[in-house]
Amino acid sequence: MLESTGEGTTTAAAGVLTLEKFGAESALIGREMADQYHRYNIDTEEVDDVDPLPHRFLVEVGKVGLAKFILSEVFHYGLKPDVILSRPCTYGVFSGPVGGFLPRPKLCVGCLRCTVQHPDFVKVLPNPDLLALGDKYTTHGHITAIDEESKKGMVPVRGQGYRGRFGGPGFDGMLTDMSEIVRPSRDGIHGRELIGTSVDIGTKPMHLSFDSDGNIVGKTPDMFTIKVPFVFDIPPGDLGTQRLAEVLNSTCKRIDTLACMNASDVLDWGLDAPHIVPVVSSPSPETAASFPKARLIELDAWNKQAFELLRSSTEALVGVRINFTDGWQETMMKAVNNRADVIHLNADLHGRGGDGRFVSDLLKEAHMLLIEKGCRDMVTLIGAGGIVSADHLPKAIISGLDAVALDLPVLFALQGRSHGSLQTRDGVKGTLPRKMTNDWAEQRLTNLCGSWRDQLLEILGAMGIREVRRLRGEFGRSMIVTHLEDEAFEGIEGYVSGGAA
Amino acid sequence: MMTIVKPSQTLIEKTTGLMQDGMNAVAFGEYGIPEALGDARWTDELILSTWYMAETGKIPDGLNYKTGKSDGGFDRLDFKFLPESEWLRHSEEIGTTLDLNRRGDAKRKLTCDIPWYGGGMSYGSVSVNVMMSRARNSARWNSFMSTGEGGYPAPLMECKENVITQVATGYFGVEEETIQAAPIVEFKYAQGAKPGLGGHLLAAKAGEEVAKLRGSVPFVSLFSPFPFHSTYSVEDHSKHLDWIETVNPTAILSVKVSTPHDVDMVAVGSFYAGAHIIHLDGSYGGTGAAPEIAKKNIAMPIELAIPKVHKFLQAEGVRDRVTLIASGGVRTADDIAKAIALGADGCVLGTTDLVGLGCTRCSNCEGGPSGRGCPWGLTTTDVELQEWVQPDWAEERLHNLYSAMQYRIRDILRKLGLSDVSELRGRTDLLSYIGKEAGE
Ligand code: SF4
Ligand code: SF4
Repeated sequence: MLESTGEGTTTAAAGVLTLEKFGAESALIGREMADQYHRYNIDTEEVDDVDPLPHRFLVEVGKVGLAKFILSEVFHYGLKPDVILSRPCTYGVFSGPVGGFLPRPKLCVGCLRCTVQHPDFVKVLPNPDLLALGDKYTTHGHITAIDEESKKGMVPVRGQGYRGRFGGPGFDGMLTDMSEIVRPSRDGIHGRELIGTSVDIGTKPMHLSFDSDGNIVGKTPDMFTIKVPFVFDIPPGDLGTQRLAEVLNSTCKRIDTLACMNASDVLDWGLDAPHIVPVVSSPSPETAASFPKARLIELDAWNKQAFELLRSSTEALVGVRINFTDGWQETMMKAVNNRADVIHLNADLHGRGGDGRFVSDLLKEAHMLLIEKGCRDMVTLIGAGGIVSADHLPKAIISGLDAVALDLPVLFALQGRSHGSLQTRDGVKGTLPRKMTNDWAEQRLTNLCGSWRDQLLEILGAMGIREVRRLRGEFGRSMIVTHLEDEAFEGIEGYVSGGAA
Repeated sequence: MMTIVKPSQTLIEKTTGLMQDGMNAVAFGEYGIPEALGDARWTDELILSTWYMAETGKIPDGLNYKTGKSDGGFDRLDFKFLPESEWLRHSEEIGTTLDLNRRGDAKRKLTCDIPWYGGGMSYGSVSVNVMMSRARNSARWNSFMSTGEGGYPAPLMECKENVITQVATGYFGVEEETIQAAPIVEFKYAQGAKPGLGGHLLAAKAGEEVAKLRGSVPFVSLFSPFPFHSTYSVEDHSKHLDWIETVNPTAILSVKVSTPHDVDMVAVGSFYAGAHIIHLDGSYGGTGAAPEIAKKNIAMPIELAIPKVHKFLQAEGVRDRVTLIASGGVRTADDIAKAIALGADGCVLGTTDLVGLGCTRCSNCEGGPSGRGCPWGLTTTDVELQEWVQPDWAEERLHNLYSAMQYRIRDILRKLGLSDVSELRGRTDLLSYIGKEAGE
């Protein structure tokens, strides 16, 4: 527990807690906090591409058709250059030195005016190279969104309404709620600048205990705070290079979050730092001493002996990674009962557990299990798997997580390319751009974090929720499309729950 | 930087001629369907059939003009038509009138000849040309069109009996005269495409004229905050409506809200506050600009909100004293009829009008990389681009489109054995759900 010493610093609580002391201490802490306050912000900045994605459209212009068209224009409007020189494209696709004879498709936004206006000699086609990116879960749509977010660091805004399917599987089948009148604050344009996105990592007792003299006895909270409800996970597959680790390291330091890395890599590359989480598999009594700056060390799977060894040899918090495979519930409870501070749950990269269930359902079960056992606040839940879009972040938190671990988005934020399926962590094959520099990569990841945080604020703002901690496990702030359909379409001939015939 | 000037008459004629001929050629099947056209909600065939109807006033053959491919909602609902031998004869006697004041109070007894009217698209998000064509078309159908939140351009006064004045959270362009001129005043609490987030007109689109009408500075981004900063409760909301009643005692009052999980409670509260029209705007609706995350994820699609509200109003015993209007993802005559069968009285259209005038759903309305807005001249006030939509042509297009849609509404009604659209309300027994095939 933190308490003011009266000298502008904080220290562990000691002595009798009287009402007067409590009042004086509280006032001091309040003053200190106010003096130290600065509004958290992620400094985003647009960066150039180093390996741009394939452009969205191909533009094909029939040269003969174009030549004929120009001739007829000259014939009809010879003395009116404004008329002859006018072009259908306001985005400059036909504004190169030789106009439509050498279009610039990378500028095309697909308004289709050219092809509608000149269907006889202009064609605009979706670019198959773009459509081929990703796999069936992490689609080209996710990848282009991440690419844009990482380039600009802004919330993607577009005209016209939603273009996709109605509801859908996985996270697409979950909607977030809003309030018609409740706001987090009436002060700002949307009040969103006052919404908190910090989360606590660690453990706190379900209640405090005092002895008859008013001294705190027993456990006190043991946690630290990060400024965003997401961390970076161990880069999957073959992505875990030193270069990437360095970029994750500097990005985490900049935005105040964490990056999980294999402990051997942390050692080999000299990356021990407060925001690096070494993940160890078979610790020795000396292992923890190799990471004196770590605030959290994770064990890569539950093993009581290894856990106790680690626990007894470090002041850092100790977390346990658990895959959603057979018996995960029992394993999780064992870890929690043995005082693991953090549980890091992993579905596969398509968001599926071993039994095929989607990660949102699995997370809800984990969250509810901990509530039923009366120990939810004693542990921090971090989760990963299937999080490839900004909307997945609040949805995973609603499902019960304290913080989300990001894996594949890192690859696509850095304009990397994947090869083959992206379902299993070990199976991921990817390449990062050769021209990537550390500064560029750090800014791209920072932009992604800024954009996802801002989008989280949009969701929280619409709900009227003032801090993300309050979103955890708030299933009532989500709506499940199949449940809404059951309510709306019940009794309609042919409708059965889930929409299946 | 290139200076953009109002185009010469010759250029307008050439460009609009090419655009219109091209739209017709593609819609009539003279060329293949453009491969990059359409999305799951507005498929290529829905867009082309809308163009076809807007040109001819008729239902097309060989194009799916009824549904999209969104795999849910309206796209998985169908009608349980009677056997052909029991169909009514197609007739203009089949009623399509929408009653807008069911409270039985002393205010105007307004009706529309068709069970839909035009949704708010503000000056700034669209041009005066687009607004005028929509307003004149509304007048021809004894229907209405909302100003959106951008003020009331003076030319609209010509159609004032058919123009709804919108009061939204930024109060942009709200004037006593325009409230007094309005047969209907619409309070916009939220918009389906960006519920809970307010509005945002990007600086590039807030030019001299737009800023003047909104009482702001040119080329400065304009935010409509969320929500009304004076509303915490139904009682506060009621005061809003009282205020309008004081300024214009005969106007009927519409309350536009989006679709949170408690939309049913919101609707009942609006009724008790004095609303004549409860307008639900679902999450898949159109917008000039909105965060992508909001469009897809916040609040519920309109198909799921209508039955919830309809049943709740029934249970509360007030269903017949209020008009329930649905919007946000309502695209076609078939969607309108399905919305009514789910429990709405009628619908509001926005995107459908734009598609009728050439919109390809490219999503660059907010300005796009050019910063100039819609290349089709729809969602822009750019001095050149806005000329690509000439009001007379556009009015005629919309009239044709509405004629075809009214025809289709009557066609649906007669095949269900109904002689008036009001008989369809809440008749979910006349709908069927198209289940998914195994493996779909
Ligand atoms: S589709 Fe639109 S953006 Fe693309 S080349 Fe044609 S006119 Fe330009
Ligand atoms: S920019 Fe124009 S054509 Fe494109 S979606 Fe918007 S209104 Fe439609």
